[in-house]
Amino acid sequence: MPNLLEVRNLSKRFSSGGGAFRKARSMHAVNGVSFDLPQSRVIGVVGESGCGKSTLARLILRLIEPSGGTVAFDGDDLLAKTPAQMRKLRARMQMVFQDPYSAIDPRYTIRRAVAEPFEVQGVTPDRSMKDEVDALLEMVGLNPGLASSYPHQISGGQKQRVGIARALALRPSLLVLDEPTASLDVSVQAQIIGLLEDLRADLGLTYLFISHDLSLVKYFCDEILVMYLGRVVEALPDTSAPARHPYTRTLMESTFEPDPKKRRLIAPLEGEVPSPFDLPPGCAFADRCPNASALCRHETPVLKAESGHSVACHHPI
Amino acid sequence: MNMLNVHNLGVAFGAVQPLSGVSFSVGKGETLGIVGESGSGKSLTAMSVMGLLPLIGGRITAGTVEFDGQDLTKLPERAYRKLRGGRIGLITQNPMTSLDPLKKIGPQVDDVAILHLGMTATQARARTEEILGTLRIPEPALICERYPHQMSGGMKQRIVIAMALAADPDVLIADEPTTALDVTVQAQIIRLLDDLVKQRNLALVLITHDMSVVAQTCDKVVVMYAGRAVEYGPVGAIFEHPRHPYTQALIACIPRGLADTARLSGIAGTVPTVMNYPKGCPFHPRCARAEPICATDPPELSINGDTGAACHFAEMPHAQPA
Repeated sequence: MPNLLEVRNLSKRFSSGGGAFRKARSMHAVNGVSFDLPQSRVIGVVGESGCGKSTLARLILRLIEPSGGTVAFDGDDLLAKTPAQMRKLRARMQMVFQDPYSAIDPRYTIRRAVAEPFEVQGVTPDRSMKDEVDALLEMVGLNPGLASSYPHQISGGQKQRVGIARALALRPSLLVLDEPTASLDVSVQAQIIGLLEDLRADLGLTYLFISHDLSLVKYFCDEILVMYLGRVVEALPDTSAPARHPYTRTLMESTFEPDPKKRRLIAPLEGEVPSPFDLPPGCAFADRCPNASALCRHETPVLKAESGHSVACHHPI
Repeated sequence: MNMLNVHNLGVAFGAVQPLSGVSFSVGKGETLGIVGESGSGKSLTAMSVMGLLPLIGGRITAGTVEFDGQDLTKLPERAYRKLRGGRIGLITQNPMTSLDPLKKIGPQVDDVAILHLGMTATQARARTEEILGTLRIPEPALICERYPHQMSGGMKQRIVIAMALAADPDVLIADEPTTALDVTVQAQIIRLLDDLVKQRNLALVLITHDMSVVAQTCDKVVVMYAGRAVEYGPVGAIFEHPRHPYTQALIACIPRGLADTARLSGIAGTVPTVMNYPKGCPFHPRCARAEPICATDPPELSINGDTGAACHFAEMPHAQPA
């Protein structure tokens, strides 16, 4: 399959503070991220809060401007596009947000919310707008009778379905899913994940799935990128690949299984994620890593591939 | 011996009855999990045990809450105040609901021992530093001089646990203690609570929405749905032979890793809110097993050994979750 998305060395630096009494500080939210997303594949990006996964999602859709690197969508360099060209392209690349409550205008009816992408893009559907919206709602498992409701009248799960219907309206090829189920109850999360699986099979969609939940990513995705403090520390070619980076192994060990027979004694990782404003030199994980050596504390490891499985570690497992 | 015995608890806010028929018990050195989705009444159960309902305008309308042989529902507020934060500790989801942002950590934790154990300030500080040390907090003396905003979420949650432990409690109620934390920090806190239960012979009530956390830590489980305890039993029985269709469906909603390729199906429909609890069995509109009787008659708890399930068909074999 050809690559739908090619990301090279993508970086984003934010600065904060700065004023009469304070020096401005800057942090690398995303630091030199590269990967390929082939057509019809699902890549999961997993990491803890502050690892840069949501920033990465926004950079890829160019919702924020990168500080460096390139993004190619279907062979087109996105960063060379004018705003007008970008708007046209966005019909083919859409995002589903974590918080369905803030993703929809509270004063819009569901019908208007789902029709909005057509207005924005100046596209007239082949059939009448009413039929088109009804069809989209049915596609995401909603009763078209809900179309005249307002967002506050429907549940969180239904709102997330509306968010997905909006994203699908213009028949995109790529969906970036930023924690689409994080604010939902588990029973509703499972419904939405099931829906996304069906849509992928029916419409041949390609997904970039951002999540903090490793078991969900393992269930849903074909490949996994593990991020820590702005960098990809490991790229697992499939979901059964064993962890080679100590951080990935820690993540896997910290994820409990829903089976009381598979209890394990957790050997907790000491310490917490350091502040991204104040990163130690060398490998950002070195302070918490059981295998860290002097080398790790002054030389940042680069992502190296070995038969498709990449890891950024001086002492991989 | 059971430290905490809740029997047939019912709670009302005016005419609204968000909680009814909740029973469970927890003994020393035991962890009980209360699990359910949002709006199932888990936190309200914790509030009831802590005697905090009057604060939010609720009252206990039925049942008993027995702590160490004493019925707390009849306890006057003055006596309750001695127990609360003393022999019964509470850890909430957001550590900042328990911490004063304007006060250094040391004095906040000291206050507990001064108030509940009648220690002097010096004794209390020594105790604070010792407890912080047992919670694997580096440099306790230094931490005592910090303010809450200078600490990470995981560290703040440890301080709240230290405050609960300072009074040497018999029962600890932890209401979603790790929900706001990252997984690696969650693993640290869960391990900490586990160790405390064993070392101090605590009775721990762990309230969570996460069946994986229950599987990892609990001895016994109560499954709640729409303000009722729909099933209870030892953790092994709950996961291996769930008798309530809701428990089965809830377990089937969690991705089980690689060995299992079954598709996640979810549960059709949504969790009812307290204003529209269905008649009969509260789960019947979403239940694949439901029959006409479920829409009219609330099921009795069918007890079988140490397990119970509130389902008309609890005695019949259900399809096991995939």
